[in-house]
Amino acid sequence: MFSMFRNLVGSKTLTPEDLKPVLDKMKDHLIAKNVAADIAVKLCESVSAKLEGKVLGTFGSIASTVKTTLTEACVQILSPRRRVDILRDAMDARQNKRPYVITFCGVNGVGKSTNLAKTQVLRLLRLDSSVGRGLAPWPRGRGFEPQPSTVRAPTGWVDVCFWLVENGLSVLIAACDTFRSGAVEQLRTHVRKLNALHPPSKHQGREMVQLYERGYGKDSAGIAMEAIASARDYRIDVVLVDTAGRMQDNEPLMRALTKLVKVNQPDLVLFVGEALVGNEAVDQLTKFNRALADFSQQQPPRLIDGIILTKFDTIDDKVGAAVSMTYTTGQPIVFVGTGQTYSDLRNLNARAVVTSLLRA
Amino acid sequence: MMRDKLCSGDLGDELRSVIDFDEMAGGLNKRRMIQSAVFKELVKLIDPGVKAWQPSKGRNNVIMFVGLQGSGKTTTCTKLAYYYQRKGWKTCLICADTFRAGAFDQLKQNATKARIPFYGSYTEIDPVIIAQEGVEKFKAENFEIIIVDTSGRHKQQDSLFEEMLQVEQATKPDNIIFVMDATIGQACEVQAKAFKDKVDVASVIITKLDGHAKGGGALSAVAATRSPVIFIGTGEHTDDFEPFKVQPFVSKLLGMGDIEGLIDK
Ligand SMILES: Nc1nc2c(ncn2[C@@H]2O[C@H](COP(=O)(O)OP(=O)(O)OP(=O)(O)O)[C@@H](O)[C@H]2O)c(=O)[nH]1
Ligand SMILES: Nc1nc2c(ncn2[C@@H]2O[C@H](COP(=O)(O)OP(=O)(O)OP(=O)(O)O)[C@@H](O)[C@H]2O)c(=O)[nH]1
Ligand SMILES: [Mg+2]
Ligand SMILES: [Mg+2]
Repeated sequence: MFSMFRNLVGSKTLTPEDLKPVLDKMKDHLIAKNVAADIAVKLCESVSAKLEGKVLGTFGSIASTVKTTLTEACVQILSPRRRVDILRDAMDARQNKRPYVITFCGVNGVGKSTNLAKTQVLRLLRLDSSVGRGLAPWPRGRGFEPQPSTVRAPTGWVDVCFWLVENGLSVLIAACDTFRSGAVEQLRTHVRKLNALHPPSKHQGREMVQLYERGYGKDSAGIAMEAIASARDYRIDVVLVDTAGRMQDNEPLMRALTKLVKVNQPDLVLFVGEALVGNEAVDQLTKFNRALADFSQQQPPRLIDGIILTKFDTIDDKVGAAVSMTYTTGQPIVFVGTGQTYSDLRNLNARAVVTSLLRA
Repeated sequence: MMRDKLCSGDLGDELRSVIDFDEMAGGLNKRRMIQSAVFKELVKLIDPGVKAWQPSKGRNNVIMFVGLQGSGKTTTCTKLAYYYQRKGWKTCLICADTFRAGAFDQLKQNATKARIPFYGSYTEIDPVIIAQEGVEKFKAENFEIIIVDTSGRHKQQDSLFEEMLQVEQATKPDNIIFVMDATIGQACEVQAKAFKDKVDVASVIITKLDGHAKGGGALSAVAATRSPVIFIGTGEHTDDFEPFKVQPFVSKLLGMGDIEGLIDK
């Protein structure tokens, strides 16, 4: 895409007029890569601001200046200013004899319930990697770092289980989607499968993953509260709260989510968004945060702490949603979902995403 | 301005370039004319020029649902069955999704609430077998609308695309509906095209139009599948479902309130 800058050769000093046609093309490129239109405009403006007034010499320097400017702007947007270290924080919580609570929220069908189940496994994998097995080097794939499970021998799970016997962190999944048909059974199925992968026989008879459910139609904030209390009583280390999908403009449902967050004060509120989403990404995140702020009447409000970007396996190089979401919230993408099985969860590799983004 | 609206409507690249904005850029007084032209162009784009498939009374009509993960297939299956049931058709549902956790429970609970007969299995793992058995059973019982729900899948999953083809071959559907989520962005076009290339998609349903999204991706889907949009989903409840109407859809897409004056000129 940088060949378009060729016609700038010879300009003495770059003016906004020089840059306009070129930046328009760049904007279109970003939009075609599924960056939300508003965000693409803002990115181009920032690149323009950085380049205006610069004196350019040969083609090489124009191309590299523009490329570096845009690349750096994107990498900066995608790089967390703050790291979310679930593992360390969960360990701390355990030391304080309280469960570590994560709430998953988002619009309908994005992958909340599935990735919540995955999170359980990823946590185990990360523990595993922290005991000494190295991560495979990136770049690999289109912007995520492989976790050990994908590069190790098939005995991987056994290793994880052994490791767990010594360190065992346990999980309670709170079924707080009390609306959508099959939501509870979906979680029950995940719990059964996860326990089959980590049988109690390997954990001193302890079920590592349990489900807290009260069926359908009940108040989700109340169920979450009971689940957390129960986790405290039974010394379960982590509570994962699954919530119903909801549209960002649906006020009653947004109020209900705010209530759940307000009364339970989870350690982490994760927004689950799919990489397939286009311009809506911006509106979804803005309005989830606004609802959490406006309806809670709490100072400071509990907002979204991080993002899980799902369905990354469906988009080829149209990686723009990652930029839209991080730009909108300033919060990190904590995990990337890359498929439907438990090991399909990765960490975001900002540079690899930017490479895909800028590739023609 | 119009151009920005289109960009923020998740229109595919190709479609955006159909309308040459520079050419059209005139004085402010021409704004209405431009709006009208764009409006007509978009109405044309969303009409694939193919007549929408209609079920026939008094015989079996097998309808298969396909689409990306989480697009709303299972929910929409029940909506469609309920829609026809209320119009007096004998309808039923088959769950040929053995992959997603809780898929059969979801369909079962929806169907039970809407009092629609259903078929599925907790033990059989082959969706092709379930689909085939279900269709045979309901055909024998003279059901008129037989709807087959399938797992979510995407073009990068070869084996799942192959499985979709097998379900098609086993059930010989009269209509295949591609279900798409109104929020989808630029990936829509290639995904929709891949579904069309694999199975004989003949209709599109757009879901989640009750939200803020205007469903610009639908234009790409129509272009890619050369199939008309037949219904829209407007909520999570079974009756949040409407036949698709071109003009209100396009006017919402363009963020235009009153469009009456535009179309008649
Ligand atoms: N390809 C792919 N599919 C995914 C991914 N994550 C989730 N899914 C699929 O997306 C579909 C919806 O996932 P759910 O976990 O039920 O989504 P949800 O957000 O909980 O949905 P609601 O609770 O109905 O709002 C399922 O078919 C999942 O298997 C991913 O990273 N990649
Ligand atoms: N607001 C809204 N939500 C919808 C609509 N249609 C479906 N949903 C919701 O979208 C989510 C996913 O719907 P499903 O029917 O499970 O989607 P699916 O395509 O069957 O998903 P998979 O089988 O996992 O691929 C659920 O939370 C539905 O309630 C709609 O028109 N409006
Ligand atoms: Mg869910
Ligand atoms: Mg389904």
